Amino acid sequence: MMIRFLSLLGNINRVVMLFVLMGALLPSMRVKAQTPEAEKLFQECKACHNINEPKLIGPSLAGITQRRTTEWLVKFINNSQAMIQAGDPIAVKLFEENNRIPMPSHNFTEAQILDILKYIENGGKVAAEYAVAADTAANAKQAMLDQMAKTQAEREARLSDLERDANRNFRTTFIITLLILIIVLVDLFGTKIIKARFVHSVLIIVSLFIMGEIAYKEASMLGRQQYYQPDQPVWFSHKVHASQNQIDCKYCHSTAEQSKSAGIPGTHVCMNCHNVVKSGKLTGTTEIAKVLDSWQTGKPIEWIKVHNLPDHVFFSHAQHVNAGKIDCIECHGDLKTMDVVMQVKDLSMGWCLDCHRKTEVQFASNSFYNTYEKLHEQMKSGAIKKVTEDMVGGDNCMKCHY
Amino acid sequence: MEKKYYKSLEELSLVIDQESGQEILGDKKSILALQTEAKSGNGPTRRDFLKIFGFTVASAAVASSCEQPVRKAIPYLIQPEEMVPGKASYYASTFYDGVDYCSILVKVRDGRPIKIEGNTLSTVSRGGTSARTQASVLNLYDNSRHTKPAIKGEETSWEQMDQQLVPLLEAINQKGGKIVILSSSIISPSTKAAISLFASHYTNTEHVQYDVISASGMLQANETAFGKAFIPAYHFERAKLIVSFDADFLGSWLSPVEFTKQYTANRKLHEGKKTMSRHLQYEGGMSLTGSNADKRLMLKPSEQKATIATLYNELVQLTTGTQNTTNASLDMAPLAAELLEAKGESLVVCGSNDTETQLLVVAINALLGNYGNTIDTGVHLKVRQGIDSNMASLVDEMNAGAVDGIILYDVNPVYDYPDREKFISGLQKVGLKIAMPVLNEETSVYADYICPDHHYLEAWNDAEVKTGHYSLAQPAIRPIFSTRAAQESLLAWCGSKMDFRKFIQEYWEKNLFPKAGFAGTFTAFWNEKLHDGVYNSGEKELEVVAYKAPELGAIVQNIKGNEAEAVDLDLYFNISVGTGKYANNPWLQELPDPITKACWDNYACVSQKLADQYGLADESLITINKLGPFPVLIQPGQEANTVSIALGYGREKAGLASEGVGVNAYPLVTLSNGNRSFELSGVTIEKVSGEYKIARTQTHHSMEGREIIRETNLGAYLEDPKSGNEVREEILAHMKTLYPKKDYDGLHWGMAIDLNSCTGCNACIVACSAENNVPVVGKEQVLKAREMHWIRIDRYYTGDPENPELVRQPIMCQHCDNAPCENVCPVAATTHSNEGINQMAYNRCIGTRYCNNNCPYKVRRFNFFDYTNSDAFTGNLHDTANMETDLRKLVLNPDVVTRAKGVIEKCSFCIQRIQEKKLDAKMENRMLADGEVQPACAQSCPADAIIFGNLNDSNSKVSKMFADERNYHVLEELHVMPSVGYLTKVKNTNA
Repeated sequence: MMIRFLSLLGNINRVVMLFVLMGALLPSMRVKAQTPEAEKLFQECKACHNINEPKLIGPSLAGITQRRTTEWLVKFINNSQAMIQAGDPIAVKLFEENNRIPMPSHNFTEAQILDILKYIENGGKVAAEYAVAADTAANAKQAMLDQMAKTQAEREARLSDLERDANRNFRTTFIITLLILIIVLVDLFGTKIIKARFVHSVLIIVSLFIMGEIAYKEASMLGRQQYYQPDQPVWFSHKVHASQNQIDCKYCHSTAEQSKSAGIPGTHVCMNCHNVVKSGKLTGTTEIAKVLDSWQTGKPIEWIKVHNLPDHVFFSHAQHVNAGKIDCIECHGDLKTMDVVMQVKDLSMGWCLDCHRKTEVQFASNSFYNTYEKLHEQMKSGAIKKVTEDMVGGDNCMKCHY
Repeated sequence: MEKKYYKSLEELSLVIDQESGQEILGDKKSILALQTEAKSGNGPTRRDFLKIFGFTVASAAVASSCEQPVRKAIPYLIQPEEMVPGKASYYASTFYDGVDYCSILVKVRDGRPIKIEGNTLSTVSRGGTSARTQASVLNLYDNSRHTKPAIKGEETSWEQMDQQLVPLLEAINQKGGKIVILSSSIISPSTKAAISLFASHYTNTEHVQYDVISASGMLQANETAFGKAFIPAYHFERAKLIVSFDADFLGSWLSPVEFTKQYTANRKLHEGKKTMSRHLQYEGGMSLTGSNADKRLMLKPSEQKATIATLYNELVQLTTGTQNTTNASLDMAPLAAELLEAKGESLVVCGSNDTETQLLVVAINALLGNYGNTIDTGVHLKVRQGIDSNMASLVDEMNAGAVDGIILYDVNPVYDYPDREKFISGLQKVGLKIAMPVLNEETSVYADYICPDHHYLEAWNDAEVKTGHYSLAQPAIRPIFSTRAAQESLLAWCGSKMDFRKFIQEYWEKNLFPKAGFAGTFTAFWNEKLHDGVYNSGEKELEVVAYKAPELGAIVQNIKGNEAEAVDLDLYFNISVGTGKYANNPWLQELPDPITKACWDNYACVSQKLADQYGLADESLITINKLGPFPVLIQPGQEANTVSIALGYGREKAGLASEGVGVNAYPLVTLSNGNRSFELSGVTIEKVSGEYKIARTQTHHSMEGREIIRETNLGAYLEDPKSGNEVREEILAHMKTLYPKKDYDGLHWGMAIDLNSCTGCNACIVACSAENNVPVVGKEQVLKAREMHWIRIDRYYTGDPENPELVRQPIMCQHCDNAPCENVCPVAATTHSNEGINQMAYNRCIGTRYCNNNCPYKVRRFNFFDYTNSDAFTGNLHDTANMETDLRKLVLNPDVVTRAKGVIEKCSFCIQRIQEKKLDAKMENRMLADGEVQPACAQSCPADAIIFGNLNDSNSKVSKMFADERNYHVLEELHVMPSVGYLTKVKNTNA
């Protein structure tokens, strides 16, 4: 209960932090040409566009403001697909010319877009009037890193709170109870201060019960790694990739729908984007350089596995993601909010079975379940309202252990 | 008439004792006696030990599991597109080891081959496999493999090797010296092309083929009769009457997997079939084939020729009226009449390597009009091409110093050539000795240049096993060690740096593609055939071979007299280690022989009469012609004066698993009339003092005389399909219960086994071991009845102990719907699934073995030790199969756990396959198809004896078999309601 409450608290904290961060990142509404902010925003464009030649995935942008009207540009940058579908001739032509690769939508404000366009007009240089502001930009970056470190520290503090709750309090209780037990026993056989014998009995029974309960709880936690959050060889952020860049989970974990294993992406998957994106907003070039290094040396990155199941459990991602239509979040937590991945659920057998007993299978939509004639009849007659996993063998031992 | 079944002669005498009312120490009494004996001992008891041990383990477990190890997840740098981690890929390939051929699919998980499966597209092996094919994947991960090229014992590189070898070969070439390539029979057309390329470069090259299992006599007989040395294609499925003279065509003769498919196709009686073939076997020792025969007659090997000649004479007399004098002890007239009745639909085969005997068989088949019907001379079987006299003259030449260079490819004559000393002395006289072995063996020790070949799963190859029946082999893994394909070595030495895949492709493009009439490019043709693994061109042998009646007069008249008292020796190849090439394969070593149920040894099978005569008992020791000592095994059905010994044992340099296993009997093989003879007449037997334990899986699974196997004969079956199974009606009438019948919705898995099809070839046992990581326990543990096989094939003798009939029954967990094991588990480690499977949760098992005790089928296995190195604690390991090495572990199936010490395990109906196929169906949004889920045993079976499926689906094959009148369940009267059904055995006898 305590843990649940605290984690709720943690969530609130997280929401507050998000607001703080957004406040820091929120662009000012003044249209200021070629601010260092524009330079920062241009990082997103840089993934596919150069200002000057050579052409990357998308066309080079030099002279763009002469070629197109500002109004068209704002519309296009905000939602290029809509324009193509609407049949805008220039948009369609561009789409065809660039191998039909759609330009992702960017959630820029109009002011930000104008800012970026000015930045491009100036050939990607920050105007002289902002030369001093460059320092400010550096400061801003530093501030951001500080912010990151702070978030991290807070997260760690929060975590150790959780851990403290999980361990220390119990440990203290255990020691206190043990002391009480010893005192009672000593009094019972030695000092004999308390005359009423029933006090001894009650105390012994209660303390043994508490200690047993704690021992049981602790023992059942053995081998589990809830809240496990190891440092990875590359500071890779799911938050940046999955949330800010909106990359689908299955882009990298591509075998989740076909195989037992969801698959850790090989360096070549990273290189699809990082071929071009050579520096990140948060980490600069240091972390991406590790990926490039792996690519050049041919040594795969040795990630630390976070979610571990015992060897005698056969878990299939395909079964859950493809056949069961379960969202990744249900077991892995909201990775979109995590910079460093943490195991959120305890991955215990009880947790698995709870879900198997609650979760409905795709009974009507998947023809596989046509085999279960009796269940279909019962559904039809209204005897049962839904078919959960345990009704079709989800709680069999050999569903997972073989 | 009531039949009595017994598993061994001791059991038979027990039955006789019981009948005569003698008091015998039964099982219970002897166990009690043992217990008292154990209790009377002083010192700490087993229980004390367990208490201390349990406490230590528990505390160590608590202490050690607090810290979790850091596990890494290392992805590919570039993940290959076709490779999905966690999902198996299948590659079509070809198994050919110089003896047996099989078209296969290789299951590859995460880059490593872990299982062999039959290729159903093949028209030769048709999806069947043999025990050796199944086990061959373990040889890939053999620790005794050659890992690097070596010159005179020094490891070197391939560049160095070629640099040194080519000048030496050229030097021989320049002085006109002779180079010999000694190989087993080569069925790969591309390899032959590579050899001829080599021969065209080094002009004085001779290619000698040496078959350990020789068919030289047959080749020569056909040369006499047809003008060409070949082996025709046989069609057992077309034969109504099969007569075999010591030809073990289901076990070791020519092409056993193909023949098993053919033979059993004509032995099935379900699905409305009402006829079956009749099979007669004449043999000295009991073979796998003989044990399946409808009628088995004992015949001394030395009498075989006379008997066949008599049969020929009788046939001649019946057809033409010409009379010849004969002196066989058996009356062959009835058989001759029966054969003539089935004219054109019979088949007479003989396992002898004697040219004259084989010539007689050719004449008999010609007389019966079998050529063109059951024997096809237009299609040749190419697995045996070696002529023994060629090998003999090569050894002479070598001794005369006439051979300057020898390349040994896929042969091991130092071990398996009868005159080993002569071969070694000859080999030592050869200047340049090159060996291209895969596994460690005896011959390469004498070679100066070791150029290790790939294991077949690492190599490209092709094969033409029968005329026009091509197949391709492709690598399923990158070479593990620094090895090179033998063909590439040959090509490299004649200046071509071509890799062998390219060479095969060019060969196919030049020779096969133009004739194929394929609409498309060669690449498309190649890709299609590579995917299928097989290609039937429909070619026939070009040369028309007409039968010319050979001059038999001399043979028929000049038959050696019958020496009734002389003791004959019959040397045979068993289905496990075969020629000895697989001696280091622990899966095969632990495979019980289908007749004797013994493993980890060879032994001399003798008859009770001979044993009495020489004062021998089971497990006493004898020498034969001074060779030995061999342990004695008294075998029912053994011809009175014949001793049978398996070849292929007593390897010296094969590796750990084969160390000290058996005695090499090859020195007993003799050369007679130019051919190696595996039969020997007039041997001297001497008793040696001492005793030797033979590990048998025979007596400790006894079903205690209950109605286990039900059989009938064809006549009775046709009258009443229930015949032999009458008792079932009575049992079903008594089947009353207070509890409601368990209802399964959707899936209810069941298995039906046709006892008429099962030949006892043991392929299922190895397939099961490979699929389910079943451990090997070693001889010493088998002696303690601790073998771990999840499926066993019980065999029972019935009738006359001198020449009994034999019946077999594969037994695995019966997945009882009312399972006695489930009720007694104190920790609910074994429970019933809602698909009718008796489940076993290993991690919940605490090893009380109550379930084991309560199982009426005795199919549960207990891990007395840690056999697969899966235990976290050291000291528990009992590692016969060398599983602790990383290389060996690669063979483990990652979809099944390895069990630790102290838990029970058993057949799971290959639950991992069921779950996999169910998921596939869900992902493809469809229902499971019948036959889609196949357990390893059913899939590997060359006889299609095992059918698996959903019992709830009334149209499934298994439901139809369950509805057959022949179907029964073993020990059904116990009301355990097994999910495995058996179809009664029907013998085509007139009795």
